[in-house]
Amino acid sequence: MTITNPSRIHPAAKMHAEELAEGKISRREFLTRATALGVTTAAAYNMIGATPAEAGGHAKMGGTIRYQMEVRGLKEPRVYDWPQIANLMRGNFEYLVEYNNDGSVRGMLLESWDVSDDAKTVVLNVRTGVMWDDGTELTAEDVARNIAGWCEKDVEGNSMAGRMNTLIDPDTNVAIEGAIEVVDSHTVRLNLPKPDITIMVGMADYPAAIIPADFDADDIINSQGTGPFKLMELEVGVKARLERKPDHTWWGTEIYGGPFLDAIEYIDYGTDPSAFLAAFDAEEIDSLYESVGEFIDVMDSLELERSEVVTGATMVIRTNQATEVDGKAIYADKRVRQAFALSVNNDVVLELGYGNRGVPAENHHVAPVHPEYAELPKPEYNPEKALALMEEAGMADFEHELISIDDDWRKNSTDAAAAMMRDAGLNIKRTILPGSTFWNDWAKYPFSSTSWNHRPLGVQVLALAYRSGEAWNESAFSNAEFDSLLGEGLSIADADARREVMAKIQMVMQEEGVIVQPYWRSLYNHSRPGWVGTGIHISYEHHHYKWAMAA
Amino acid sequence: MGLFILRRVGVMLLTALCLTFIVFFLTNLYPNLEKLAKTQGNMRMTDEQVDSWLSERGYLDPLPVKYGRWLGVVPGWTFEDPDDGKVRGRCIEPGMDPAEAPRYCGILQGDWGFSTVFKDEVGTVTANRLALTGKLMFWVMVLMVPSALLIGVLAGMREGSKLDRSLSTFSIASTATPEYVSGVIFITLLASSSGVKWFKGTATSAADNATFENFFLPVLTIALYGVGYIARMTRASMTEVMTAQYIRTARLKGVSFRNIVLKHALRNALIAPFTVIMLQFPWLLNGVVIVETLFNYKGFGWTLVQAAGNNDIELLLACSVAAVFVVLVTQLISDIGYVFLNPRIRIA
Amino acid sequence: MEPLTWTGSLSVLNPIFLGLWALLGVSVLAQIVTSFFGTEVDVVGDQLVVKKTPNALAGMAVKYSFIGAVLITLAYLVGGILIPGLEAKGIIGIMATRFLPVWIALAVTFALSITFKRKLGLYGKLFDSVVGMIGFAIVMFWVFTAIFGAMDFIVTHDPLSQISGLKNKVPGTAVPDGNDVYPYYLLGGDNLARDVFSRMVKGSWEVIKIAPFATLFAFMVGITLGLPAAYYGGKLDTILTFLANLILAFPVILLFYLLVTPEIVATGIPVYMAAVLFIFPIIFMVILINSRFYVQPAKRNIYLAFVLVIGLWLYAGIAWNADPFGIIEFPPNLLVVFVSVVFVNSPTVFRIVRGIALDIKTRDYVAAGQTRGEGPWYIMLWEILPNARGPLIVDFCLRIGYTTILLGTLGFFGLGLSPESPDWGSTINDGRKLLSIFPHPALAPALSLMSLVLGLNLLADGLREESLRD
Repeated sequence: MTITNPSRIHPAAKMHAEELAEGKISRREFLTRATALGVTTAAAYNMIGATPAEAGGHAKMGGTIRYQMEVRGLKEPRVYDWPQIANLMRGNFEYLVEYNNDGSVRGMLLESWDVSDDAKTVVLNVRTGVMWDDGTELTAEDVARNIAGWCEKDVEGNSMAGRMNTLIDPDTNVAIEGAIEVVDSHTVRLNLPKPDITIMVGMADYPAAIIPADFDADDIINSQGTGPFKLMELEVGVKARLERKPDHTWWGTEIYGGPFLDAIEYIDYGTDPSAFLAAFDAEEIDSLYESVGEFIDVMDSLELERSEVVTGATMVIRTNQATEVDGKAIYADKRVRQAFALSVNNDVVLELGYGNRGVPAENHHVAPVHPEYAELPKPEYNPEKALALMEEAGMADFEHELISIDDDWRKNSTDAAAAMMRDAGLNIKRTILPGSTFWNDWAKYPFSSTSWNHRPLGVQVLALAYRSGEAWNESAFSNAEFDSLLGEGLSIADADARREVMAKIQMVMQEEGVIVQPYWRSLYNHSRPGWVGTGIHISYEHHHYKWAMAA
Repeated sequence: MGLFILRRVGVMLLTALCLTFIVFFLTNLYPNLEKLAKTQGNMRMTDEQVDSWLSERGYLDPLPVKYGRWLGVVPGWTFEDPDDGKVRGRCIEPGMDPAEAPRYCGILQGDWGFSTVFKDEVGTVTANRLALTGKLMFWVMVLMVPSALLIGVLAGMREGSKLDRSLSTFSIASTATPEYVSGVIFITLLASSSGVKWFKGTATSAADNATFENFFLPVLTIALYGVGYIARMTRASMTEVMTAQYIRTARLKGVSFRNIVLKHALRNALIAPFTVIMLQFPWLLNGVVIVETLFNYKGFGWTLVQAAGNNDIELLLACSVAAVFVVLVTQLISDIGYVFLNPRIRIA
Repeated sequence: MEPLTWTGSLSVLNPIFLGLWALLGVSVLAQIVTSFFGTEVDVVGDQLVVKKTPNALAGMAVKYSFIGAVLITLAYLVGGILIPGLEAKGIIGIMATRFLPVWIALAVTFALSITFKRKLGLYGKLFDSVVGMIGFAIVMFWVFTAIFGAMDFIVTHDPLSQISGLKNKVPGTAVPDGNDVYPYYLLGGDNLARDVFSRMVKGSWEVIKIAPFATLFAFMVGITLGLPAAYYGGKLDTILTFLANLILAFPVILLFYLLVTPEIVATGIPVYMAAVLFIFPIIFMVILINSRFYVQPAKRNIYLAFVLVIGLWLYAGIAWNADPFGIIEFPPNLLVVFVSVVFVNSPTVFRIVRGIALDIKTRDYVAAGQTRGEGPWYIMLWEILPNARGPLIVDFCLRIGYTTILLGTLGFFGLGLSPESPDWGSTINDGRKLLSIFPHPALAPALSLMSLVLGLNLLADGLREESLRD
């Protein structure tokens, strides 16, 4: 295996290019798969004879954008629990790789990377000439230190640990000795004990920001970084202001272009979409974090520019199989869970809860946009059978409390599902919690709905949310068969080969009634005319260097 | 008079003490502390982690001790981290040598604590937000008081006339329309694409730069709910004055109606509304919370909602102190003003 | 099917109706403007005659256009009831027909009340005041609507059922074929495709069943504490007044946020508060009976036993959710809202009662009672209280309106009642998010709430006027 030859193209990527030519996969799937295997975006596009779509051409320098976004308190990156927090610091703390709307992963602080054929060795080639604010260069040591930090599973709320799971020694809960190897000043090699295909896309996720050696969790705002913007002003819940660092030469200017803007102002309008609409009406903001529900149509009529991205973002209504209600874990009973799934018609929830802005889902949390999605028959909708199952479980008279957050689409969708469960004869009570309290116990509610963001690979979400003992396993699903199948799936680099395992996994999910998953959402946002690059990102990332005023 | 004020101030302090203690008690109930720990630390902490998080920060000490610390009569908590031996404490600012830190740091020392939601000194947050709400209230008063008095006087000078009937109906209707109804209707009609776009439906930018466009609707919404009440008080007081003997005498003497109203009736008719206006302040506080939330104006009311929703104990306490201060000071002013305006009352 | 029009076959009247309203608006303005120029008086023969000034002309225009508008409104309603066929009736006609039980009940109430008004005391006198009658009519309209609505008379659909395809549809939209329900959504569909009209009607029951009772409880608490505070004075008065002022110094919203959250409910504090607050009505009734029938022990014991059995049974059921017979149930959600509203209202009532009682205490008949050797509680409850009833009844009406607004405020902040509840506050809060696009789901409950509170205010105004004439 060669290490330092970035032009080497992974054999699987070549195979995918053929698949694309044969029409077996979409362009988008090809890009996700090929770039995850270490092929640069440009090379991947090259393989199929296309050119990447970039906005840079018509941008002009200068300007300040006002952007609606919740302004949350800062935290250490690896414990980030909101993309919004990451966006505040994203101008300063950069990422190794960047995931884009077209499904491609491209190098940022990494010049390139290389996944071995057996997916057990990953070589990271750190970009040269990337400077910290104090003038020192970013080195392989920095990268290795950050990865080691992500592997510290004992740090409360460290969600990167789930993404780096293969690197972690289960006995010590830190990185396995020798797994993160600094080869030279700009090369890091990850030696995995078992194949893992998700590591690279995991590094594109929002908690994977690269922080300096002198990072101080008590003074994040003044921390140095490699990026072109600095957070100058932060008033939690009110506003934040990022300004371009005055005497900083950004490495990316030559490679990707930008940054164009002088400053970015984030303004917090709470969570009520009507306030966003009013803010647009009042010309107080230029761009929106996300447009939801009916407001999409209204904003379309306002001469605003809409951007749309099809995703694997979703909402699941799940039972927690371990949480006890009245001293009994009632949802450990499979029949009760299946009854819920049978009583809900996913198409209707999509219509009433999300205005048909998406595609119906199939209760297994693998999206058609994921490369390894296996097509299964549509889940059954059968209210009579649902009631019969519930009666069989002896729960016909039990009042199930269905909890959701108080917002537009999640509340409406959950209400719609609850109405259908009632129509089927199940006894449902709805509880709606405000956002400030909902997330306190989100993983523990006996029966509730949760939103999940898009992730590039289908196995990723499953590994994060349904594997036994995971921090985010809100359904407390613990199934040996599922775990072993998933472990198998996670070691198959080729998506087609993985699809066979996925079919089984998806079947287990449906059969066990783990979740009622009504639909996959498309995401939208709106901007006022005259801005480029401010469209919505598939996982809500703000790539500030791409934003600009139209020339 | 001096003694009277002194006694009122004493009662005020006692009230503030009791009130903050109640708020302190309610916010320090264990479920609330658990919520705080989880929002501050992490949403997915286990029960043991919650316990250790809380006890390391002194939240699990007895209630009177915690309250004493907040007041500044009991030394602040300190905690030595068993891992790295670093000492943290209530009175130890980041970067300060623990040995040099003061022992007491409560409101008596001028330290209002640290806001867990806004990650800033409570004193700064509260002062900024109060200033913004002060601005809002000022304009509310400017709009509300003169229009309410005008309506009341016009309605009260000829009791039973059609003018009286229509103005009284308006006053009743305005007291029957809560802010969350009128505000919403105003936004739809006057500040959205479906109505006319004369005004702006958010007041966020009014915090830095208040203009007629972005500030009028919130001011109008609060003022409208208060106008009816003051107008009815003024009307009642005006009708009473207009039937008084001295007015009848003046009329019989042939003084013109205009002069009777302006020179004789008005001053006496305005005593009662004055008290009402002052007592209206605490009421307006309610409206302020609704309107600031609705219009996204980040003043005191909005802060109160954020603090309460996130169980930000010290910020909530500061808000309570500010609120109780407003209530009691306006009561005091209304009492004193009443005495000055009404020569028949003397307080020994 | 075609959507319904508002007025059906009576739409010929629409231009006249609009014209009359326009005329009314213009003439009211004209009248206000002209009223600033005084009236001129002419001497015709030996009589003073008011000249036909612009003001008088405007006054006449107001009068006749108003009468005309009211007549046409009546025509819409009555015509709507009489015309057969849903399309011909139009939305207003159908609604008028649905409300038929309410109209009949209102007519009976008014006919009976006006016939016997001289025998009905203060209530009867209400029918001497036009304002009072209007207020009473509005309030009773909603009371009857609530009662009949709760009995499923008026509603056209189930308030929680959703019909696919009717999300946010405008008033009068026909239900798609294949649904075996009422064929139209009279006031349109809400954000979840539920019938706005049925939710509005059902919501009135939610409001009517909480607001008056919460207010009544607050009054019992306020009276039980306010009377002795005023009568005895001294330390008791000082302490109670201090406590009342303490609660009043709280911003109401802060209090709600501190009391009506899931965390506080988990601690059980609302139950303890309920336990304290709900004992007052029982104390009140017991003292009331005891002081009255003190001299007739046999009668007293029967009454007391009766009150105590019923009272304690209700108390156990409501406050502790421990009804031995399992009949009374009080959902914890409702309890915490109820307790908070009572808690917020009681101190104000206390202050009013104390103020009035302080005044009445100095009257001669109280001194007479004292010399007769009547017990203090007898004087308080049977001498002072009846004489304070005028202002208290007026305040009671106003306070129900205020409580209705408070319940809405709770809904506005997402606190309080069950989220799917059709009560007006929550519905307004749900609808307000989409108000700029689909105003009808929020407008119906908002106007209902406004009209109920307005009715209560007018009623209070009428009662005040009439009680002042005593």
